[in-house]
Amino acid sequence: MNRMSSQSRKITYLIIIVCLLVGIVFLGMPASSEEGSGGRLAQLRVKHNLGEGSLGKVDPSSTTMNLLLLGLRGVATNLLWMEANEQQDHKNWAQLRTTVDSIILLQPHYTKVWRFQAWNLAYNVSASWDAVADRYFWVKEGIKFLINGSNRNLDNPELLWDTGNFMGSKIGRSDEWKQFRQYFYVDPEPRLNGGVDPELNPARKDNYLVAKDYFLLANDAEEKDPDKQHIMANILFRHYPVRAQFDYPMALQREGIFDQVTTEAWRVGYDEWTGKFGRELFDTETDGGWVVLEASDDDITRLAQQDGVSETLKREWVDRYQKMVNYIFWRTQARVEREELTMQAHRELYQGEQAFKESRMSEAQELLESGMAKFEKVMTQNDSLLLEDDAIEEALNAVLIWQHVHELEGKQVPANYPLKPLWDSQQERVQVLTNEFRREYGIK
Amino acid sequence: MSFDPQPYNVLLALGHWLAVFGSCLGIAFFVAFMTGVASGRAGAVIGAVTSSFSDFFSTSCRRIGAVALLTFQESKRRKALYVFFVFAALFMFAGWFLSNPSNRPELQAKSYIVFVLTAISWLILPVMLLLSCWGVPEDIRLRSLHTVVTKPIRRHEIVLGRMVGYISVGTIVLLLMGVIGYVWIFRQIPDEAKPSLVARVPVYGTLTFINREGKQGSGVNVGDIWDFRSYVEGATKARAVWTFDDVSEQRVGDQMVLETKFEAFRTHKGNMEKGLLARFIFVNPVKNISLPGKPFEVKEYQDATLVIDRKMTEVDEQTGELKSFDLFNDLVYTDPEDGGNKLRVEVQCLDAGQYLGMARPDLFIRLADRPFAVSFSKSVLGIWLMMCMIVMLGVSVSCFVKGPVATLAVFTFLIIGQGMREFMGRVVTGQEHGSGLVESIYRLVYHLNPTVEIDDSAATKVMFGIDQIFKKLLWLVQHIIPDFGVFRMSPYVANGFDVSWEAAMVPCLLITLGYALPCLLIGYYTLRFRELEAK
Repeated sequence: MNRMSSQSRKITYLIIIVCLLVGIVFLGMPASSEEGSGGRLAQLRVKHNLGEGSLGKVDPSSTTMNLLLLGLRGVATNLLWMEANEQQDHKNWAQLRTTVDSIILLQPHYTKVWRFQAWNLAYNVSASWDAVADRYFWVKEGIKFLINGSNRNLDNPELLWDTGNFMGSKIGRSDEWKQFRQYFYVDPEPRLNGGVDPELNPARKDNYLVAKDYFLLANDAEEKDPDKQHIMANILFRHYPVRAQFDYPMALQREGIFDQVTTEAWRVGYDEWTGKFGRELFDTETDGGWVVLEASDDDITRLAQQDGVSETLKREWVDRYQKMVNYIFWRTQARVEREELTMQAHRELYQGEQAFKESRMSEAQELLESGMAKFEKVMTQNDSLLLEDDAIEEALNAVLIWQHVHELEGKQVPANYPLKPLWDSQQERVQVLTNEFRREYGIK
Repeated sequence: MSFDPQPYNVLLALGHWLAVFGSCLGIAFFVAFMTGVASGRAGAVIGAVTSSFSDFFSTSCRRIGAVALLTFQESKRRKALYVFFVFAALFMFAGWFLSNPSNRPELQAKSYIVFVLTAISWLILPVMLLLSCWGVPEDIRLRSLHTVVTKPIRRHEIVLGRMVGYISVGTIVLLLMGVIGYVWIFRQIPDEAKPSLVARVPVYGTLTFINREGKQGSGVNVGDIWDFRSYVEGATKARAVWTFDDVSEQRVGDQMVLETKFEAFRTHKGNMEKGLLARFIFVNPVKNISLPGKPFEVKEYQDATLVIDRKMTEVDEQTGELKSFDLFNDLVYTDPEDGGNKLRVEVQCLDAGQYLGMARPDLFIRLADRPFAVSFSKSVLGIWLMMCMIVMLGVSVSCFVKGPVATLAVFTFLIIGQGMREFMGRVVTGQEHGSGLVESIYRLVYHLNPTVEIDDSAATKVMFGIDQIFKKLLWLVQHIIPDFGVFRMSPYVANGFDVSWEAAMVPCLLITLGYALPCLLIGYYTLRFRELEAK
């Protein structure tokens, strides 16, 4: 038994309590508004940006849940995740959305959870619905989920990039891209009365321009802390804002819009590609040192001297990096497309095809001939286009339709016509395109 | 989302109850009698059993009422009614978390309804569990029961009085919560969601399939993990065939409302801007009539209603004449086998290469709606019956064990009865791979996953034999533990259906009644034979 008297024991306990209290205060005292205030843990939190407030928007319910669950957060998350899987298998969509929200309450700063579930909502759940408006609703749910994730995790480049990617690719390149792009301006949800969804598109922009905004934010976040981005090579990650800028006029052209807006969009894209992205410095983290994509001879010499390597090696690395993002192709494409002549050629070929579809044969022939002549001129002025599949196929398709119009009208195809040299040199490709053309229009 | 209420088989349930109750009673009597024989007091055992009959026949409602009143006052003293404060706090702030204007109206209504009914259950049930499990042990500890048993009151009256008292307290609390919850739902949900507060009355049929060759067969599985729905191929002879019983003019009225919830599966994009086309074909096999309805677009995961007029017309393809049909005189037929008035509705997908998915509850005849208050009240009644079950179990278990043990036991019953009965059922029937007790240990030791075959040897035969005994015991346990899942009626209310009498109310009532007698007997005999001095 303890021989200490009751009073001595109490004094001893008191001393131990005070000692522990001092330790606790030193370690855990909360910080005040003053810089450098608070205990050691509070200071470390500020130093490494680990405080709930510095990570992003604070959700009181999330914090409360995590505190209440003590150490069982992982178990609860696993159970919820299994429940979400079962709800998805059983097509219980409303409950799935609620369960996913609950998972996020428990793991608000786990980027993978946000990315996985957002993808699941926008791609998998959306594809399970039949009506296009319903699919769009779930695409929006996925995107809103990501936006929420970005708010809860400030400066997270991956979530911002995903948001841009969903806005661009999912809305602009799905099978339902025509409807999705329309819905981006005129939302089918009754509560929005035919307007835009303010959470997605408050400024009524094109989906690719909104995507570009998010890619720019992602780039800003990546600049602050490059280690937070694990999706792809740095140069690929950073080229997305301009790619979204290119996707914008391409989508307009797919929709048959060949006006000043389209030309201007290509011009902006070209300027940003060559003037901004092309002038960024990238560290190869090898003996290649630093590279710049829009590199003049002077740049090569300067960079080679700066890194102490040969100009040949420097050129080699610049070439490698250009190939990674298809730099030359996009530069050429943007340079050509921003020209009025190119736009006229596209417009006439497109309108010619539409006239053919609507059986206005004389008009189709006239428009196609004019467009083909302009296209030939563009190709002559830009040799590099002769290597680009899209340009070649557009030209050959125009010739195919034009020849078929002659056939339908009972006319002889002239011996010489615009784009004939290209037609003759691409006979292998012509065969494939002819088959596709016949299948598309049901010609035997 | 599936919502497939299955009618309750009363006879089968009664058979099970008699088997389990009878065998438990038999075993208990046998053990008591044999113990009596061993101690030379077999006559006393028989005497006790016979005297219990006279106890039961001379039950006094006044005495039960007195104990119930005391129990009520005791519950008040224990501040059981404070549960209201938690309830009020929940309801004050719940709207913040539940309101989501981007949700569709019916989903918004669903969230509020599920929240209210879940909150009521989760608040009332633990309180009643604790009260009922601690009452009798506390009486024994404080020796107040000693005073009671010296009065001319029988043991079963004490047990019954306790049960009635706790149930009365719970009833008052539940009623208040129900009324507040109902008003709260109406006040909170947005106006556009209010039309979804209805109690639809469905008449479900039986579903069979005709395959693409036009023969009786099954639907197609399009690769869903969940095989709830089967699919029929478009523009073929494939059909889903529903047969509805008891279809009459008095029941259905002049306009028959059919409600559908089909699912589409496309093998090619088709016209994306339009839903798949389907149509109903009303078939009278007795008169050999086949009347196709107008094609309609399928809207997935939405309840779509189609109003079918009693009088229908069709242009005869051969003569070009307009033929008219009466729904009840021409299309409803009398089944030669059972003599019932039946209606056969076939559903066909009209788009080639596309599939239409259907399950039994995806098509039903919708009778006149009932007010939302009806289904809500029935759901609250379900919670009340569940509360009665917990009180009965709590009181009877607390007659032979102390408060903490009784609480733990009833809580375990509640957890298993709520969510693990299905798993137990799979173990008992052998659907769960490698679920035998000894087999599981063997697999753990030898690192064998449940799907790996175990060699057939004498030792493994013994192992499986032992597991069979455990599975029989588990079967008994599975049937002793009540199925609390059936008391959950919120899915009916949340999905806008009236709570079905056959599929929900009857099983709840029967289960509660089925447990009332065994619980009373356990409480009675325990109080009669236990040593009250043993705290």
